[in-house]
Amino acid sequence: MDTFIAAFSGEAIVWDWIIAVYLFLAGMSAGMVMIAIYLKRKIITGRAADNGIIKATAILAPFGIIAGLTILIFHLTKPLAFWKIMIYINPTSIMSMGVILFNIYMIILFTWLAMLFKDELLLILNKFVGDKLNVIGVIIDKINPFEATIELILAILAITLAAYTGFLLSALKTFPLLNNPVLPVLFLFSSLSSGAAASLMCGVLVFKQPMHCPSVKWIHKFERPVVLFELFLLLCFFSGLILGGGQKEVAAMAAIGAGFWAGWFWIGVVGLGMLLPLVLNFVTPEQTRHNSHFLFTVTGLSLLGVLMLRTFILYAGQMTLV
Amino acid sequence: MSCTRRDLLIGTSAVIFTTGVASVGATLSSQVLAATMTDGKKRYGMVFDASACIGCTKCTDACRETNNVPEGVSRLEITRSGPTGEYPDATYRFDRNSCQHCDNAPCVYVCPTGAAYKDDATGIVDVEDDKCVGCGYCLVACPYQVRFFHPETGSADKCNFCRDTNLKAGKLPACVLSCPTNALVFGDLNDPNSEINKVIANNAVYRDKVELGVNPKLYKVADSKGEIK
Repeated sequence: MDTFIAAFSGEAIVWDWIIAVYLFLAGMSAGMVMIAIYLKRKIITGRAADNGIIKATAILAPFGIIAGLTILIFHLTKPLAFWKIMIYINPTSIMSMGVILFNIYMIILFTWLAMLFKDELLLILNKFVGDKLNVIGVIIDKINPFEATIELILAILAITLAAYTGFLLSALKTFPLLNNPVLPVLFLFSSLSSGAAASLMCGVLVFKQPMHCPSVKWIHKFERPVVLFELFLLLCFFSGLILGGGQKEVAAMAAIGAGFWAGWFWIGVVGLGMLLPLVLNFVTPEQTRHNSHFLFTVTGLSLLGVLMLRTFILYAGQMTLV
Repeated sequence: MSCTRRDLLIGTSAVIFTTGVASVGATLSSQVLAATMTDGKKRYGMVFDASACIGCTKCTDACRETNNVPEGVSRLEITRSGPTGEYPDATYRFDRNSCQHCDNAPCVYVCPTGAAYKDDATGIVDVEDDKCVGCGYCLVACPYQVRFFHPETGSADKCNFCRDTNLKAGKLPACVLSCPTNALVFGDLNDPNSEINKVIANNAVYRDKVELGVNPKLYKVADSKGEIK
């Protein structure tokens, strides 16, 4: 326990575990949106809003981004001055560009969800404020012809957002582990894997989407190559650092060679988060895989793995300087 | 109808895209220009002579007093390593840890609000307290790890060569004035006749982490013995 506390309270750590939670939530939101858009356009037949995966996205994607940003605001030393980050813009700052991206992403996300769930939205509005806000329905009808365009823009924004969390850290030239071109790609794919896990967990267990339906089957098929590619990216990430020599090598070995964070990485991120779900899905018969406890375990492990990966990158990254 | 609407959308997005890129390009190029400017305006820098430093830390105290730096944080630190050699010939080595006033300052590039900025008139990297929201991006971006949050204001803080205190009053920075062995030299790097340029020309000097391309303006004279680390 003492090593646990010591590992999390490094003196040089400016961005701590709560930032890892933010990175995780923003990534999950983006991953779910990417998957939901693909499902809606290619897999789902009939009304998309009736699909459990889409419902899960409608709840968790806005939750992820809003909770993530709330964390960020309260992590500032001056939370009440957060609005200044929106009115002062610095084009060379990745964070400043990210703030703009977040705002546009949220606007487009809510627009898209309002279009998908127009009937439900109007029903709720009528229940609480009567017909005063029926104009919203008229607006939704007006923008409806642009649905395909809005979806395309939202998909691009989601990809950018997932990669952004990587770019934010890769701009830090002080830390060899973070200042790494593989990081945005790695974060994009870990977003997809957390998005898939969250979609399944919430879509099947909460919104009762049947296991045998095409959308759940597609996510299941999609998960495995994503995790395998993530493992390959981790290999690229660390072999690139070790072959780079100097402080890059020192940083990589300090992170995964020995110590608390090496254990965290090998047991938590790779073992529990990636290999165990892969193996479990591979060895268990189909009957067991459709058990809700099994699904909860496997998707929970994937989500835990992604959260542990973000925490690992953040802490191990700030451990070694150039 | 849909065709004209489409054309309008394409047209406006094209305008937004090109103007956006143009303004980003203009800002970038002006920053690069300012960063590599070697004539015209002042470019204040400093020399720390490790062979003269005796590690008395008077500079640290003077800085704290002049700039009202609270306990627990510091804009300037003198670190001691060693001893090397055996008594009675044992020697210590001292180093100065403070803002290096990079021409291409990473803190300035990453700051989302522009609170971290480089003063055009002096080349000094400073913080605009009111604009800073305290995100900590500059603290992690600084290759020299010299930034900290001021416990009272919550803003990022660091050495600014006493820009708003001694320099404003026409005096040299507090650390330079307080040094009993003249181990610190402050001056304008753009002035060929300045004392700092003479010191740089007549000594073997180095700067920390130049390989990062940040072009720091804190020069160091090495102690006479051993490898520079």
